[in-house]
Amino acid sequence: MSVLDSTTTILASGVRLTVPLAFAACGEYLAERAGAMNISVEAMMLSAAFTSVATASATGSATVGLAAGVLTGLVVGFVHGNLSHRAQINTFVIGLVLNALVLGLTSYLITTEQFTAHQVGVLSIPLLQDIPLIGKPLFSQRWPAYLLILLVPLTWWLVERSRWGLELRAVGENPQAADVTGIKVNVRRRQALLWCGALAGLGGAYLAVGEVGSFNQNMTAGRGYLVIAAVIFGAWRLGRTLLGCLVFGLSDAMRLALPALGVTLNAQLLVAAPYLLALLAMLLFTTQHREPAALGRPFERGST
Amino acid sequence: MTPTTSAVPILELRGITKSYGTVKACAGVDLRVDAGEIHGLLGENGAGKSSLMKVLLGLVRRDAGTVLVRGEEVALDSPQEAAELGIGMVHQHFSLINGLTVWENVALGDNGKVNKQAICADIAEVSARYGLTVEPDARVETLSAGERQRVEVVKCLRRNPQILILDEPTSVLTQAESEELFAVLGRVVQEEGRAVILISHKLAEIAQATDRVTVLRKGCVAFRAVTADTTPQLLARQMVGREVSLGEEAAALGLVPADKRRKDGGGGPEGQQPVLRLAGLTVDQGGVRLLADVDLTVGPGEIVALYGVEGNGQATLGDVLAGLIPPTAGTIEVTGDRVDVTRPGALSKAGLGIVPEDRHHSGVVLDMSVAENLTMKALDKVSGRFLLRRRAMLAEARRLADEFNIVTPSLDAPVRSLSGGNQQRVVLARELSGHTRVLVAAQPTHGLDVGAIEDMYARLRAAAAEGVGVLLISTEFEEVMALATRIAVISSGRITGALPVSEATAERLGMLVGGEAA
Repeated sequence: MSVLDSTTTILASGVRLTVPLAFAACGEYLAERAGAMNISVEAMMLSAAFTSVATASATGSATVGLAAGVLTGLVVGFVHGNLSHRAQINTFVIGLVLNALVLGLTSYLITTEQFTAHQVGVLSIPLLQDIPLIGKPLFSQRWPAYLLILLVPLTWWLVERSRWGLELRAVGENPQAADVTGIKVNVRRRQALLWCGALAGLGGAYLAVGEVGSFNQNMTAGRGYLVIAAVIFGAWRLGRTLLGCLVFGLSDAMRLALPALGVTLNAQLLVAAPYLLALLAMLLFTTQHREPAALGRPFERGST
Repeated sequence: MTPTTSAVPILELRGITKSYGTVKACAGVDLRVDAGEIHGLLGENGAGKSSLMKVLLGLVRRDAGTVLVRGEEVALDSPQEAAELGIGMVHQHFSLINGLTVWENVALGDNGKVNKQAICADIAEVSARYGLTVEPDARVETLSAGERQRVEVVKCLRRNPQILILDEPTSVLTQAESEELFAVLGRVVQEEGRAVILISHKLAEIAQATDRVTVLRKGCVAFRAVTADTTPQLLARQMVGREVSLGEEAAALGLVPADKRRKDGGGGPEGQQPVLRLAGLTVDQGGVRLLADVDLTVGPGEIVALYGVEGNGQATLGDVLAGLIPPTAGTIEVTGDRVDVTRPGALSKAGLGIVPEDRHHSGVVLDMSVAENLTMKALDKVSGRFLLRRRAMLAEARRLADEFNIVTPSLDAPVRSLSGGNQQRVVLARELSGHTRVLVAAQPTHGLDVGAIEDMYARLRAAAAEGVGVLLISTEFEEVMALATRIAVISSGRITGALPVSEATAERLGMLVGGEAA
């Protein structure tokens, strides 16, 4: 294998591993701008991965599986939103509980039945896919990946240009002041979590019925946490957040590719690489952070 | 337009009652406001003014009572409903969102598409009509207090409210900015026939600006009158519920300038070693020189005031003296010893106590108990090597609470539950406990009621009498005249001059504030 070929392979695999992160990161980014620190993005991804495989197996359609995944993410977002931004239970605790619950539940459910594998199709863009080096990685992906071209600008526009997004940002910066201007703070946060749930669900489902074609126990393996790290890495800017996803995706691809290239490194160390990289990135870029001032702070009417 | 009592009032409140737990914030308050008048709402902190206005804005739901707008009963369940009824408010603690730009803040609370051009045009129109200059694209966190206030007013007026409520609007404004604001309000009521409710505890303001006045005390209406028929002294008495006679109290209320006959150098004798000496103190931040070569000394028993318009480096100096930011250059000496300000707590160990400008932010820990807050700086006294000695802590806290007359349901109550005046006493008690030789008091009476201001003045004087050097950072002319023995003036981060109080006049200080030698 030539150097060019192996580089293309690693890039292609890196992009493939980035796509699920990127979907979920768009959601998490929007939720955090609204001040909703959404730890349960892992639960959203993992549960969606499971239901997408189960639904695809039952219906015979990977696309329906994908839709089921989005729906599952929405449900998790709905549950999280109502518990933490209606019932006012600590959002971090809920996130951790949901993550543990979904991990346990899917680990159990996977043992109860055999699922037949289904995978969404690859869509190669003619001509563009023949560009050397980046052609295959960027223009020969499974079709839902191209949804990013739509969803990334849409997320940006929603946050930066729509009234809804302006209100979200206000809620994330200063919920008391937002309340005074008549914005329903907790409603906006629950809505933000629904958006996050749908996109994280899409990311999880893409991982399962897109890339892998089946469900394994704990198949997201902390990708939800990587998504949160990417938002921090991106200093709550969408472009940099997606760059963070790409960095994490590529480092994951390196891990998979290195043994094939004849480099022998401790496998456990390689698994840890993206996380170490995330830590390092946060350490290096920490001074540039401008996080939403009310991130993770609950809001209750009438209290100061 | 003159207010007529026969017409249907634009706003009428009947028997408004609101309780928080066992505390009755408002107990059957009646209020009547006519179009075309500025109605003063006067009361000490905790008198129920803010609760009443929150009810009016739909931010909290009343327990009982009726609200009539133009004679019609309204529910007022949400801020949206209040806005639709034409009730708008300029808040005391700004309701602006720091991370957003001016125009984005103005756009909040609108409906429909976000149209930057339209909003900026509105802002320009309102700005021009009232002479309130604002920069639509500026991020709010970069604006000064006065500029933020202007944004608030523009934001509120753009909604075209028929009833405009202002909560302590001048507490962070300079004299000139206040006058500008009242000029705008005058136009709002006289030319446009709106109604204004002005909440304040500054009697001078109420006396000058309002047509009628309602005084609240302990959640009830204590007094109401046509402003012209009353006197500030009478209003003060109604507000406090007792005679207000002390000169400095009157000065605090802005009634009279302080007694200038007070003898000079009431503090320490000449030639004594200063307890605080700042030499060449300079702070650069983000390419901006916030403090430039500040030299200042405070002798034992002396009260030195640092007077100036807000935003001229006082906050930075306060942060430096609190040890929050290290100076770029210059030295700080406490009782003759140079202090290494890069070490946390070094200034405090050296004997410097500070009542910070923003007590919620850096003065107290709101959710910790009164006892914990009081003993925070003297943990050696109340703990062993590892464990707190709760009994000792409570005893020490009890002693301080008694000495400083802190009113609290219990020493275990969170500081959050105390009134502003009592919170400030907690800070002062803690900072004066131990071996404090110099006390820095930054805007110590901001947002306090008359009684608490009087108390604060007495305590600062008492501290000076005991030989503590006091550095009073203040923007209130009457306050520095009432308290200080020497007045230094800061302008654009630079000390422009210092005068003994006997030579200080409004004109001379005004020149210095403007950056010119007097």
